[in-house]
Amino acid sequence: MRDILRITIGLTISCLIAALIMGAVFTVTDKAKKHNEQMDLKKTMLGLLGYSETHPPPPEFKLFQVYRYVIDDKGSQYIGYMVPVKKGKKEAYALLVIDLQGNLKKEYDLAIKPEKAIQMSERHTALQEVVGPPKTFTYADSFMVAMLGTKRTAYLIPGEFHGFKSFIRVMLALNPSFTVTGIDILEQEEDPGLGAEIVEDYFKNQFIGKTYNEINKLKVIKKPLPKEYREYLEREKGMFTRQQVEEIRKKYEDADIYALTGATITSRDFTGGIKNMVRKFAYRTGILDRVITRRNVPAAF
Amino acid sequence: METTKTPLQLVVNGLLNENPIFRLALSMCPAVGISTTVMNGLMLGVAVLFVQVCSSCTIALIKNYIHPRIRIPTYTLTIATWVTVIDLVLSAYAPVAYKAMGIFIKLIVAFAIITMRLEVFACKNTVGKSFWDGIGMGLGFMFGMVTLGFIRELLGMGTLLGHDVLGFRPLLFFALPLAGFFCVGFMMAVFNYVELVFNRMKKKAG
Repeated sequence: MRDILRITIGLTISCLIAALIMGAVFTVTDKAKKHNEQMDLKKTMLGLLGYSETHPPPPEFKLFQVYRYVIDDKGSQYIGYMVPVKKGKKEAYALLVIDLQGNLKKEYDLAIKPEKAIQMSERHTALQEVVGPPKTFTYADSFMVAMLGTKRTAYLIPGEFHGFKSFIRVMLALNPSFTVTGIDILEQEEDPGLGAEIVEDYFKNQFIGKTYNEINKLKVIKKPLPKEYREYLEREKGMFTRQQVEEIRKKYEDADIYALTGATITSRDFTGGIKNMVRKFAYRTGILDRVITRRNVPAAF
Repeated sequence: METTKTPLQLVVNGLLNENPIFRLALSMCPAVGISTTVMNGLMLGVAVLFVQVCSSCTIALIKNYIHPRIRIPTYTLTIATWVTVIDLVLSAYAPVAYKAMGIFIKLIVAFAIITMRLEVFACKNTVGKSFWDGIGMGLGFMFGMVTLGFIRELLGMGTLLGHDVLGFRPLLFFALPLAGFFCVGFMMAVFNYVELVFNRMKKKAG
């Protein structure tokens, strides 16, 4: 009996000490960690748009983030877009509630500062005020619109789909007509040497330059990647003349995706995932844009 | 039963006589799964070295207060705490290193080699000795991982540390986890053979 008691107390105390240490370290490091993650994401996003530390974006460049929510109102469902809008000179967020037919049902102003919208808890408190019970809302996804002055230059869409082993998280850059301009793999756990090759330029760059229609028709083929195409995909600045680039691009313009050796399933899943992302995004943005122009929503983008 | 070995002997012991992978055949799953490239092997090796040394020292320090019946849970708890601490600290203050090592560090909680070292060595020896034993075992593991990574990367992908050496991929099979076992078996044979020859030479000399 005394043994049991001693064991119990001993284990409890050691667990408590371990928890204390871990908790203390967490509180100290949490802020720095979050900061790092955000900086990392920002770097990825700017990199996708062709900016880097040596080539920073011009001052009129701006990124606006749009959040998509699913709103449930007594059994019927609506899509809620949290859109940045202009209010005089200031920026604010508004919620556009769109029904499944694509018509604007309601528009709410949100009491949230734009710079705080990145935090989920802040967004949810603001949303709670306008779509509180009995209505419920669930976060779906978000995307970013890059602007140069008043012109839209690109969309950045984070997405996730399943690969062969686990989920693959990517960030896609599309231009305003939904042509893929950049692709970055944020997280993947495929087999090294096989499926993990999706992060290599010679695979992922095959998607770059594909237009919306081409993406829709895209298939995966099991043929060896032609040598000149591979060199073209892996090229760095200055390796090819502009004319050569143009020639090869023309030649492989409507080529399908060459599957990775030994990782056909990953290649198929990846291609399917990208296809899906682009298609859904184009469809949704079409609806959102129609609502914005028809109702004269003072959207910031 | 305290060991009488000197620090140098402890380190060599971990590297060769009791090499975690090739002699003790412990932590085989992660070893085989991760050692596809030299870099991966090195990263996991560094992470294990770190956790092994920290955990060994901690257990050696508190060994008199651990109830013998709950020593294994206590070991696991110690390892888990160290792994979490290292994971958090690295992610906050060394994001570049964390990007390369992050996934490996989280794996370590379940490593047999660390628990075994705590049970066999750290709970019977002083902090100083445990420290050197931890270094030896960690280096031994790292040595094993890098060797495996070297063989598998060269034969499986034709590269070394990401640089193209051969220009072609000799045997794709070596990139797969199964080939890891072949490599380990091969290395074990090499180790055993060397021991055999060494002992024979000793006998002759003696």
